[in-house]
Amino acid sequence: MATTQVPLTTGEPVLVQPGQTTRPKRFREYLPLYVAISPFYIVFAIFGIFPIAFSLYLAFHAWDGIGPMKYVGLGQFRYLLSDGDFWHSILVTLEIWVISTIPMLFFAMIIAVLLNSNVRGRTFYRIAYFIPNITSLVAIAIIFGSVFANSFGLSNAFLQAIGVGQISWLSDPWGIKVAIATMVVWRWTGYNAIIYLAGLQAIPGDVYEAARIDGASAIQTFFRVTVPMMRPIILFTVITSTIGGMQIFAEAQVLVGDTGGPGKAGLTMVLYLYQQAFTNSDFGYGSAIGWGLFVILILFSAINWRLVQGRSGR
Amino acid sequence: MSRETTRRSFLTALAGGTAGLMLAGCGGGKNSASKTTLWYWNRSLDDGFLAQANKHFADLHLEPNKIAVDYKPKLLTTLAGKSFVPDVTNINSDIATYFPDQDQFVDLYDLGADKVKDLYLPWKWELGVTAGGKMVGFPIDTGPCAFMYRQDLFKKAGLPTDPKDVEKKVATWDGYFEVAEQFQAKNPKVKFVANISNIYSLALAQSPKQYFDKQGKFIGDQSHIKNAWDRAVEAKKRNLSARIVQDYSSDWSGGYSGGGIGTLNDAVWAAFILEEAAPSTAGKWRVCLGPGGTGNKGGSFMAITKYCKRPELAFEFIKWLQQPTLQTKTYTEIQLFPSANSSLADKAIIAPDKYFGGQSSGQVFAASAKALEPAYYSPYEAIVSTAYTNELLNVENLGKNPDKAWEDALSQARRQIKHKGLSV
Repeated sequence: MATTQVPLTTGEPVLVQPGQTTRPKRFREYLPLYVAISPFYIVFAIFGIFPIAFSLYLAFHAWDGIGPMKYVGLGQFRYLLSDGDFWHSILVTLEIWVISTIPMLFFAMIIAVLLNSNVRGRTFYRIAYFIPNITSLVAIAIIFGSVFANSFGLSNAFLQAIGVGQISWLSDPWGIKVAIATMVVWRWTGYNAIIYLAGLQAIPGDVYEAARIDGASAIQTFFRVTVPMMRPIILFTVITSTIGGMQIFAEAQVLVGDTGGPGKAGLTMVLYLYQQAFTNSDFGYGSAIGWGLFVILILFSAINWRLVQGRSGR
Repeated sequence: MSRETTRRSFLTALAGGTAGLMLAGCGGGKNSASKTTLWYWNRSLDDGFLAQANKHFADLHLEPNKIAVDYKPKLLTTLAGKSFVPDVTNINSDIATYFPDQDQFVDLYDLGADKVKDLYLPWKWELGVTAGGKMVGFPIDTGPCAFMYRQDLFKKAGLPTDPKDVEKKVATWDGYFEVAEQFQAKNPKVKFVANISNIYSLALAQSPKQYFDKQGKFIGDQSHIKNAWDRAVEAKKRNLSARIVQDYSSDWSGGYSGGGIGTLNDAVWAAFILEEAAPSTAGKWRVCLGPGGTGNKGGSFMAITKYCKRPELAFEFIKWLQQPTLQTKTYTEIQLFPSANSSLADKAIIAPDKYFGGQSSGQVFAASAKALEPAYYSPYEAIVSTAYTNELLNVENLGKNPDKAWEDALSQARRQIKHKGLSV
């Protein structure tokens, strides 16, 4: 580091003398501390910063993964903006996100309230609801593949038994989206319920007591006391499920394959990225899609942030 | 220097050690001259023979490494990183996608591959050779296709059941569709095929021409593709499909094990998947050559990378591992269908097959393999083929107009080609 230049630019002669003599010394003194915290930064630099920077570099090139890279300037991004499949994948991702997040958070809240009451075997239920979250995604996808199988699946066997008739889950665009969303809901409801439960337990009991003395009903208490007190936690779960929802990949891939199925209804943004980079060996364009995804995530984070700001300012 | 260990010096030493390890990890990528590393995926080579390799070649010091998932991305990454590149690597049936980077591999012709060329199926051999005449991949297995059908359901439909007679009936696509109509009329709850894309891919697998010619010109709008397309659309029009979205998925397995699908016109390895998926239908299946003759789907290769220090020895090892007698044994062990001519006539291959009611299924697949013509696959097949199969999915499942779908497939394919900078 150019330590000598710092005093010159600050223009404060008083600081020059001690700065010049003690800084290298102080650095040496703190070296062990820097060294002690360095493993994280070294690993992060190699596996975090470098790939990010390299993908930006790649986005300006055409590269098949082995051969020489060819500089194409903004070509990949220009193609991205004109690529119907990319815009389609954004729409698909948003649709799946909406039809998964709303029921997921709704059920999570109900489960959390139930778990917060004095049911027997609470620990068992908490563990049971959390287990889907730590189950292997591929295993989940295979199971759900049999549940939603078109003609020979479990759900259709059930629907037929109760006389509703079959639904072609995997050949209908909305069927595909509902199937993917169901997997997301199944996997993440328990996780969000546990977070809500922690939030519920942090609400002081005297608030409820006051509500009860004022004669509030259970439903009134829930909407007038619990939900307002939980707002920051609900916002947290909305933000995390937004980030997660924008990156849905494995669920779609295992259910309908790399191409996204009929009508490309399961072609999420990350699946499209994977398809272009790894199936078509077009790593430059894959990186460009990655940065397109980044811009969209920034956009959504900004909206979320405004939401948080707006609510807390009120 | 000789102070007692302080916490500081300990930490410094620790950090130094960590950095040293990292450097060793990054920089030590050169293959040591004394060992030979090999990459393959599960069931692409016989583990038992790999274990014996070091006994046959005292100097080889083979280190086989079974890569669990994402084989191709990992291989590409290592090649791009130029370190820890395996000396010998398996390459899947998409071998042509490596041809633009053929400088990464050793020309097996330089090592005398020509001398054993006659031992193997010519069309399979050619698949491993680039348009410029460089041999990148050595033949491992093949995926010859044949027509498998439920004999009991054929009988119910009043159709011939003996493979010889069925073969005559379905020799042409017209005959095939006639049989299908009669089959479904008498078996109203059973569909003839799993999906129409399967018909498309099979019809295409029979064509010596694919999506590009040898000059790299796009020929995906020509009659050989359109004919395959039309056959798939025909199956849709006649309502022959069970509309299984993904082959070999749980839906696919359910269809066959539940008796909902009556035939399978696919590669020999698909017959093994069928056997596992639908054990309850054992003995009811028969097999013969299907419409339009044969076709090949899949089958992998062995290649030597340019990082290999002793390519001659590595090639001796490949020749040993893929010699006809070992290919035959590999078939018995892990069902890889051989690419060596003499293996195809071996007793182990043509043994009676219980799943096919004692018929020799191997004999049919071997005949299919022998009858195949060489085909030209360009490095860019996968980039355009998705457009066609996607549109067929839409025709099959969403009721999209086939003519509109064909137009859309072509325009999407051309877009991809343009983006890749290839000639249309």
